[in-house]
Amino acid sequence: MFWKLRLPLMLTFIVGLVPIVTFFLTERVWGVAFVRDRVEQYMVIITGFALLLGVVNVVQGNIRKIERRKPGWPFAVSLLLGLFVMGAFGILSAARVGPFQSILTAPDGSDTPFYWMTRHLFNPLQAAMFSLLAFYVASAAFRAFRVRNVEATILLTAAFIVMLGRTPLGEYVFSWLPNGETFLPWVTEWIMAVPNAAAQRGIIIGAALGAAALSLRVILGIERSYLGIREK
Amino acid sequence: MPETWYDPSRCGAPLVVLLVFCFFVLLFINLARRGRKLFIRRIAGIAAMEEAVGRATELGRKVLYLPGGGTLDDIQTIASLAVLRHVAGLTARYTVDLDVPNKDPLTFAATRDTVHEAYLQAGRPELFHPEMVHYVTYDQFAFSASVTGLMVRDKPAAIFLIGAFHAESLLMAETGQSVGAIQIAGTAEVTQLPFFAVVCDFTLMGEELFAAGAYLSGEPAMVGSIKGQDFTKAGLILYIIVGILLEIFGIHWFRDFMTIQ
Amino acid sequence: MNLERLVQVDRRIVYLLIALGTLIPILKPIGFAVSTTPPVENFFAKVESLGGDDAVLVSFDYGPTTAPECDPMAEAVLRHCFTRGIKVVVVALFPLGGVTMAGEALEKIVPQYPDLVEGEDYVFLGYKDGAQATMKQMGVAFSGVFPSDQEGTPLDELPLMTQVLNYANIALVVSIATNVIGEWWANLVNAQFGTPVAVGCTAVSAPKYYAFLDSGQMLGLLGGLKGASEYEQLLIDRYPALEPIYSKAGEYNAMKGMDAQTVDHAIIMLFILYGNGVYFLIRRREKREARLEQ
Repeated sequence: MFWKLRLPLMLTFIVGLVPIVTFFLTERVWGVAFVRDRVEQYMVIITGFALLLGVVNVVQGNIRKIERRKPGWPFAVSLLLGLFVMGAFGILSAARVGPFQSILTAPDGSDTPFYWMTRHLFNPLQAAMFSLLAFYVASAAFRAFRVRNVEATILLTAAFIVMLGRTPLGEYVFSWLPNGETFLPWVTEWIMAVPNAAAQRGIIIGAALGAAALSLRVILGIERSYLGIREK
Repeated sequence: MPETWYDPSRCGAPLVVLLVFCFFVLLFINLARRGRKLFIRRIAGIAAMEEAVGRATELGRKVLYLPGGGTLDDIQTIASLAVLRHVAGLTARYTVDLDVPNKDPLTFAATRDTVHEAYLQAGRPELFHPEMVHYVTYDQFAFSASVTGLMVRDKPAAIFLIGAFHAESLLMAETGQSVGAIQIAGTAEVTQLPFFAVVCDFTLMGEELFAAGAYLSGEPAMVGSIKGQDFTKAGLILYIIVGILLEIFGIHWFRDFMTIQ
Repeated sequence: MNLERLVQVDRRIVYLLIALGTLIPILKPIGFAVSTTPPVENFFAKVESLGGDDAVLVSFDYGPTTAPECDPMAEAVLRHCFTRGIKVVVVALFPLGGVTMAGEALEKIVPQYPDLVEGEDYVFLGYKDGAQATMKQMGVAFSGVFPSDQEGTPLDELPLMTQVLNYANIALVVSIATNVIGEWWANLVNAQFGTPVAVGCTAVSAPKYYAFLDSGQMLGLLGGLKGASEYEQLLIDRYPALEPIYSKAGEYNAMKGMDAQTVDHAIIMLFILYGNGVYFLIRRREKREARLEQ
């Protein structure tokens, strides 16, 4: 019980108090800077070790998939290949082993294998995934924006104004009026800076209080689900 | 650097707010423990969780739970673990498959423990197998690619997207929608809330996410903390109104007092 | 006519039209005019007010995913600074590719200004982990977090860095950000050190930044491709000599990207109008049927 429950709760209480207390104290107080910096550093170190746990889990899971010839097992092969090839080049470059004397550039000015893979495989794949958002936004907007009631109509109107106002189309709509080309961009800015900012602040304040209340529950040991143990 | 041992600019408004907040939260926790009945409004997204798992049981398809991309120092992830515990309890009870892919390695360790414990508590430890909670990758979009692929292949009947989500939110939620899953989302990331609100069936917005664990547990101490939080919010609204009025009348000391350096 | 079927457009049709709406304007630019808005004008005016004795810190807080939106911002700001002879300190705080983005932007922009001397007119300090801690530490001393530049030259051997010791010597911080790092510049560096901060961010996160703009913690904002295109337009209007760079065929920039965004927005709006039109017909039919039943 001590190792699984009391010790973690005690540690949570102490470590949870560190950022609160150090927020109000200056570095003139002995140990403040040391403790605060250590907590941040330990987080990085613990994450590093946990990442190792993750990598082991990925390798085990995918090897199992290949062994059992589960559906899609060739993808597991490509995953492991990518993991080991890129990982090996990265580690060799970071450790400056043999011909791998730099992470980014080889002595002749060309890209190292690791950097080449980053630039020509990793980066385009990342950008491709992100660009899918354009398609998804379009199909989600088509489905969601319906004039069902007053609130939905207000939402749709605001969305239309912002979509128009964020493009040159917004300038053409009222360009027949004197100085009309600035009208829709101006309304767009107003929507963003006033109703949008007000709503965002409301949600942010509420969420911040909710986060603080949950943090307090965690620090006081009332909320324990993150420990994977019984609540009482 | 200040000459004192405390930072004077931070010991004004922030300290007052902290003390008021702690006072209200502890007061209501105490009242709740003494048996005072505290009313918390019904949150539709939480009420729908059992229905979602039930639907997965009827269809014989799995439940997919995504705890977000945050690590354990993100309080949204802690809130997500509380919800995961409840969902895992339901999947154990209904004997339906659960799948929990993880992006963050620390969160992965915690989700595995949480699910394991939930199955133990539900009295179905034999249904838990370590593969149901697995690690994918630390990279945001590689993770999205993997999870959306999983959704398309496995067609889960219920998808929970609870925690810290960023640009990947719509990628996952829209794919989930395309496979016909009932989706319950929850996040405090304001930029992602519109996406979830549009695509998912239910969305826990901001503070609702943080209240979910307490709401689900029904424990007086947990519920009391939510009540305390609400009173602090009422105090802050009063603060804002007073601040606006004082500024209108050209009195600025209140604004200066509230400024943090 | 089955209206229910009409309203359920196959999402692949939407995807196809969006793909065409993006591809065609990029391959064959339309050249829509760009008007400017106050958040961008304020940003531009601040850089315009600086000169050869000032230093601007440009932080690359984004990765390759958002490069189409963020690259044009970073490039326009660097061009603006170099055109005015402002000294530039470049750092990268985004872990997944920030340093690559910074390196590529400098590789592209610096050759356009042959008189620039590395170490004197600009420095590239590279990447540092722990964004918030790094920001705080830079307020005390740059050398505390970046003992050397990206190429390993110690800071005290770089003439610019012997004058720029911390935020006190920085006239403006520009963060081109894809996630929360931009916010930290506003609510940490501006709030604690008083250094003016301007942010360029993706369109999706722009709504969040308006709160910081209103509170005065940020003096300017480039919201997505639109913000970037506005900055480019202001730059061309003020420095017509830069116009050939932006009109060069085959070179991507925000103004060209805006053509695609405009067409895509129009497609989305047309789909929404279509969906609502059919929805309206369905509701009218339902009401008529209900009346008949009564």
